[in-house]
Amino acid sequence: MGTTTTTRIAGASIAVAAAMALTVGPAFAAETWVSANLKPVAGNGVDGSGTAMVEVTGNSITVTMAANGLLPDNPHAAHIHFGAEARHECPALSDDTNGDGHLNTTEGGPAYGDIVVSLTKTGDTSPKSGLAIDRFDTAPGGKLTYQRGSITVSSDVATAISAGQSVVVIHGVDYNKDGKYSGDTKSDLDKSLPTEATDPALCGALHVAPAGGMHTGGGFAADGLKSGGQNEALLLIGGGALLAAAGTGAFAARRARSRA
Amino acid sequence: MTEHTPSPDSDRSNPRTRRLGAGVAIAVTAVLVVVGIVALVIGLRGTSGTPGPPQPAAGGASSNSNPATPGAGPTRSGTPSSSPSVSPGQIETPAQASVGIGDFLEASQPTSISIPSIGVRSSHFVSLRIQHDGTISVPGTAQEVGLYDAGPTPGQLGPSVLAAHVDTPSGVPGIFYDLGKVQPGDVVNVARRDRSHLTFTVDKVSAYKKTQFPTDAVYKGDFTRPEIRLVTCGGPTDSRNEYRDNVVVFAHLTNAT
Repeated sequence: MGTTTTTRIAGASIAVAAAMALTVGPAFAAETWVSANLKPVAGNGVDGSGTAMVEVTGNSITVTMAANGLLPDNPHAAHIHFGAEARHECPALSDDTNGDGHLNTTEGGPAYGDIVVSLTKTGDTSPKSGLAIDRFDTAPGGKLTYQRGSITVSSDVATAISAGQSVVVIHGVDYNKDGKYSGDTKSDLDKSLPTEATDPALCGALHVAPAGGMHTGGGFAADGLKSGGQNEALLLIGGGALLAAAGTGAFAARRARSRA
Repeated sequence: MTEHTPSPDSDRSNPRTRRLGAGVAIAVTAVLVVVGIVALVIGLRGTSGTPGPPQPAAGGASSNSNPATPGAGPTRSGTPSSSPSVSPGQIETPAQASVGIGDFLEASQPTSISIPSIGVRSSHFVSLRIQHDGTISVPGTAQEVGLYDAGPTPGQLGPSVLAAHVDTPSGVPGIFYDLGKVQPGDVVNVARRDRSHLTFTVDKVSAYKKTQFPTDAVYKGDFTRPEIRLVTCGGPTDSRNEYRDNVVVFAHLTNAT
């Protein structure tokens, strides 16, 4: 009895471990997904937020994204960033290498890497379209919604996204609160644009979801059993009853057989 | 001893009595087996006779219950007209089959949650994070509600995942003890730090074996509207007092003021 129970528990544990290993392990051709909470980039003064979800099937990704608190009615370049050497996270104020109190796109590089996907609404989605201002969402009312499927990426990028190593960044801020991209500081990416047009506004690392179920049972831990009393009594009664059942069962079997 | 040899005691009782004896023995065996198993189960659970937490009525640990997600493939970008208002007003989220992205709110931490149908109310929140083994942490006490902090806050686009204990190690019911009693159509009210009041309407309540936890349905959903998931434990416990199942309530945002 005791042995059987132990074996069964061990079996269950192995099954749980196997399930977790399967869930945690890197996925290749299989369908995976990751999601991000988009939060204001440090130092850039955006009072906004958002969420993003990316599904990966082979070399194809589908991106769903929603954000608010952005400068309304102005184009917001948005990308998935990744760098093998990057920290796979959003930049901190310690990344402000020029010390101006803001983080521009280049300063965020060590945190999130290069552009690997341009989240344009139409046409090309490669890094080449990183500043294709006319093809990004303009956040009417400060609200950005984005949904696009069949975006082709390289195997390396697909693997990085599936592994939770990529970062979504929405660009475009309004430091001087004049309602448009302006100011004397030029963009680090394109000298014809003000830095407000390209500085990162919201950022979120695309994470893999937690593996397996949740251990939300207090589940009457060992002290209840150790303390004896009713539990132990019940165990004794149960064991005794089953032993007795074995006895009467054998008796019944013998009787039944004798009848044949 | 061969099968057709009369048994030694066959000569000291007539066939009728023998049959009766066998019948009684079988009945006694059955009773003892039932009593034994019940006593062992209760003894192992340590509940001294109290039943476990309520389970979803229609549920049962359904195994392959990952509803396929629409929205893959070539999708249009969400049209601005499908997002009618900016600030939290009286919003009615579109029907569930809608294409594109429904209305959503900005991030804001929950300050209270209530489920009137089962008399649950809590304003103690903690953050839940992914641990080194890839699993999610759980609240430290049975009265706290945990919010998965790498997911949406309630009201943002996508499923916001909240979890709480079904009971404590000493057997005191936790804040989500009665979660399995929640019915589709019930409401879950969430107040947030930005002073908005959100109403979610329950779509489904199900129990799943933890080994077959529907990760996609819980954490991803269809990701086109604000949703909420409430998770606790349920089902039988094993000898380590670990519950077999997770009970999950699925709900979507129907009102925000």
